[in-house]
Amino acid sequence: MTAAREPLLSCKGVSKFFGALAAVNNLSFDVYPGDVLGIGGPNGAGKTTLFEVISGLNQATSGSVIFQGRDISMLPPETVCHAGIARTFQLNASFESLSVRDNVRVAAYFGRENRAYPGLKVGPDVEEQTTAALEAVGLAGKDHLIAGELPVLDRKLLMLAGAIATKPRLLLMDEPVGGLSPREIDHMMDAVRRIAQGGVTIVLIEHVMRFLVQLSTRVLIMHHGESIYEGPPQGLAKDRTVIDVYLGEGASERLGKLMEAGQS
Amino acid sequence: MSPAKRDVLVCIGLAIVLALVPLVIGTRYIITQMTLFFIWAIVVTQWNLVLGVAGIFSLAQMALFAVGAYATAMLAYYFAIPVIVAMPAAALITVAASLVIGAACLRLRGPYVALLTLAIAQVIYLVVVNDTACFTNPPSGCLPLFGGVRGFSRFGDLGFRALLGSKFYVAHYYVGLSLAVLAVMFSIAIIRGPLGLAFKALRDNPGYAMSRGISKFKYQLWVFGLSAFFTGLAGAFYAAQFGVVGPIVFSIAMLLFLLSMIVVGGMGTIWGPLLGAALLMLADEGMREVGDWRDIGLGLVLAVFVILLPKGLAGVRLRRAKAGL
Ligand SMILES: Nc1ncnc2c1ncn2[C@@H]1O[C@H](COP(=O)(O)OP(=O)(O)OP(=O)(O)O)[C@@H](O)[C@H]1O
Ligand SMILES: [Mg+2]
Repeated sequence: MTAAREPLLSCKGVSKFFGALAAVNNLSFDVYPGDVLGIGGPNGAGKTTLFEVISGLNQATSGSVIFQGRDISMLPPETVCHAGIARTFQLNASFESLSVRDNVRVAAYFGRENRAYPGLKVGPDVEEQTTAALEAVGLAGKDHLIAGELPVLDRKLLMLAGAIATKPRLLLMDEPVGGLSPREIDHMMDAVRRIAQGGVTIVLIEHVMRFLVQLSTRVLIMHHGESIYEGPPQGLAKDRTVIDVYLGEGASERLGKLMEAGQS
Repeated sequence: MSPAKRDVLVCIGLAIVLALVPLVIGTRYIITQMTLFFIWAIVVTQWNLVLGVAGIFSLAQMALFAVGAYATAMLAYYFAIPVIVAMPAAALITVAASLVIGAACLRLRGPYVALLTLAIAQVIYLVVVNDTACFTNPPSGCLPLFGGVRGFSRFGDLGFRALLGSKFYVAHYYVGLSLAVLAVMFSIAIIRGPLGLAFKALRDNPGYAMSRGISKFKYQLWVFGLSAFFTGLAGAFYAAQFGVVGPIVFSIAMLLFLLSMIVVGGMGTIWGPLLGAALLMLADEGMREVGDWRDIGLGLVLAVFVILLPKGLAGVRLRRAKAGL
């Protein structure tokens, strides 16, 4: 790692207030190309709000978000998407009445670049990209199912397929395995690993510590909108503040064992 | 076969069958009613793009139809422009009007869109009927700028009366059919193409659609603009067909009649609104005898469908197909 390396994403003093509540409070951090940054923290810490701000769905009250050297703080969500940032949502979002394939097709067609004039047909390049995204998450063969009728794992995978179909440089994932069984978590972990290996930089929010520490190259723990820990995942189980406000003694011991097992 | 190809083939098949009708049926009344069916078919397929495909509850479509009809009559009446030239010009004026309405509705949701668009339609209606100052004084008497309660007549026609004499209505049948086929092809291209994807995505989940690169602003304007072209053209053809344009085109009864066609047939589908238009015109025909009960009958049909078959007749067919029947 050289000091001259440019961050892909840089949040500088970002705050988001809802009335008097500081959901995100003067938060600064950098994400470098190739990173998998894991964000954890108790409920209401401001993790989702941070994603809302970065993705343009909700504008920051103050501070700036720089992506590839460009200030994106004031851009609308569709422009942020075209700039190369895609996200998934904590609550499963989909185009309920559309087929699985159409859900991803939308993203592949509209997500890559701003289309001044919509065309008459979805081109073969978009179809290829749609197929590739469905295969990457393991949804191949389910093209014609209706999104609203999918089981929860498939809905999360569909959201992920939509995100990568936009060809992002940066992928933001909000609790990708919330509510999944251990086997399903493993499936999602494989999918995320493959995406990361494909050269996409990732920021993920997760309460499932196993998922967070095994995937992340770096971890950021938030509390009351502020950062209370930023560093390697190995340091988490030993950090007093993190144990006190988030993990608790029992969980931190289990986490410590998990990290040791992973290293040996 | 891709769904788009199948739809286009169905459309061509229907067009061929309908083109043969005047060769078999000579009754003027039936041919004229079918011409009217083509006009309503155009309006409902285009309205369906906004209402069913994009999920925007706009009630402005009949006002846009009226803009097309009035613009044709006024261009022809005041500037002596041939009706055939006034018609496409009127369609473009309708597009402009619709873009303004679409922009006004941008920040509104659900029922508020319905309220605003209905209010806009009422304002246009009131401007037309409340302006009683004479703008010109033709031999038939004082004529306000927008025609007042009497409306416009004697603004010319498509020229078929001079050419074919009493058989002109057959030519109008074919004009109506051609416009309807074009309008249906247009709606197929939109619903089955990328625009349809954008509209449906925004309908299903606007926030998610935006974060996948779809600008709500841009595509809401697209759907308002595109759906207005053939609606305006239908209004223009209505003016040419009947030779009179009056404030009746703004009536709530007419609005409900067309809205019912879409609801009965199935919102958001390609063939539902057409099916609904055919069925409701037949039902309306069947209830001619019962006079005032006609509107009540239509109201009941609408109520039954909203309660029992909210997805319309096309919805029933789809569910059956899925169940493997
Ligand atoms: N639109 C909003 N209006 C008002 N308050 C909000 C809004 N969105 C979030 N908040 C508040 O901001 C704080 C941070 O919420 P946020 O959803 O970002 O937390 P989180 O870290 O994602 O929590 P969780 O782990 O439960 O998902 C909470 O107190 C929440 O109630
Ligand atoms: Mg959250």
